[in-house]
Amino acid sequence: MLKDHAKKKIEFLIRILLGVIFIYASLHKIENPSQFAKIIYGYGLFPEASINILAITIPYFELFAGLSLVFGIFPKGGAMIINIMLFCFIIAISINLARGYQFDCGCFSLTESSVFESAFMLLLRDIACLCAGVFVLIYNKPRLLTIKEA
Amino acid sequence: MNIKKIVKELFYITLPALAVAFTVNYLHPDGIALFGQWDVSKGVITAKSKKGVVESLNSSENSKPEITSPEEAKILFNGNNIVFVDARSFEMYEEGHIKGAVNLPAFRFDELFFDFSEKYPIDTEIVTYCTGRECEDSHRIAKNLKELGYKNVRVFIDGYPSWQKKGFPIETGVEQ
Repeated sequence: MLKDHAKKKIEFLIRILLGVIFIYASLHKIENPSQFAKIIYGYGLFPEASINILAITIPYFELFAGLSLVFGIFPKGGAMIINIMLFCFIIAISINLARGYQFDCGCFSLTESSVFESAFMLLLRDIACLCAGVFVLIYNKPRLLTIKEA
Repeated sequence: MNIKKIVKELFYITLPALAVAFTVNYLHPDGIALFGQWDVSKGVITAKSKKGVVESLNSSENSKPEITSPEEAKILFNGNNIVFVDARSFEMYEEGHIKGAVNLPAFRFDELFFDFSEKYPIDTEIVTYCTGRECEDSHRIAKNLKELGYKNVRVFIDGYPSWQKKGFPIETGVEQ
């Protein structure tokens, strides 16, 4: 069994890594919401009326949740948002994978290259992130370097 | 796991995130409308961005810049002196394009425009197209051409796939 101090360090590292990933993923979407809206449309899963609202809000959920993990401000809330988003991404990718629908995930880039990331790799990456997010969420011991918890 | 605590923290993060998201979108020059145009039966899809090429072209003085059916495009094709400009990539153009069309890929416009302008004077009637209503490259090219002085520029919004489907004249290979 890992000692509490080691667990604390692991939680800290996972929390920072996950936070940085989500902050990074949000930036290009914030810069170009119309391109991101087109990528959401490209998933072929969302009602027309929801596409712009999702394109406006998702990047800021990613950014704020990422910042909350990095700075340790309400980390459980941040982890919960990230887990909900990852769960939705996993469902969306799985549906498109199952129906053989080609799409651009738009995760880290909006450049419309014809190279689509392998959906399987995408799925694995999101599942790994979800595991990390669940760990941060259920971690109940005192955390390293947190500013505020509810 | 304390559910109450998580829900509380969730609100502390989502509410400011929502407030910032809508405020920044409202103030940002690239902000988008709350509802976009995502119905291909109504035209080219667009998030209705403040700087969107589709919106800016459609709001220009030209009363009807869009050609909304392959039949209408074919009538123009049959007329004289109209140049069709293919805004798709070189590879797609090579695979098949509207007969006689000139390739001017949207992402290589700056590089290729000089040669184009030498060949086609400013009063040339131009119809741009790309892959259909989910593509705005034909609007981008049309907007660029208009800004550079071409007055008679229109966009065939259904693009090459609809033209091909109708069995209208096409050709493959590079430009002659």
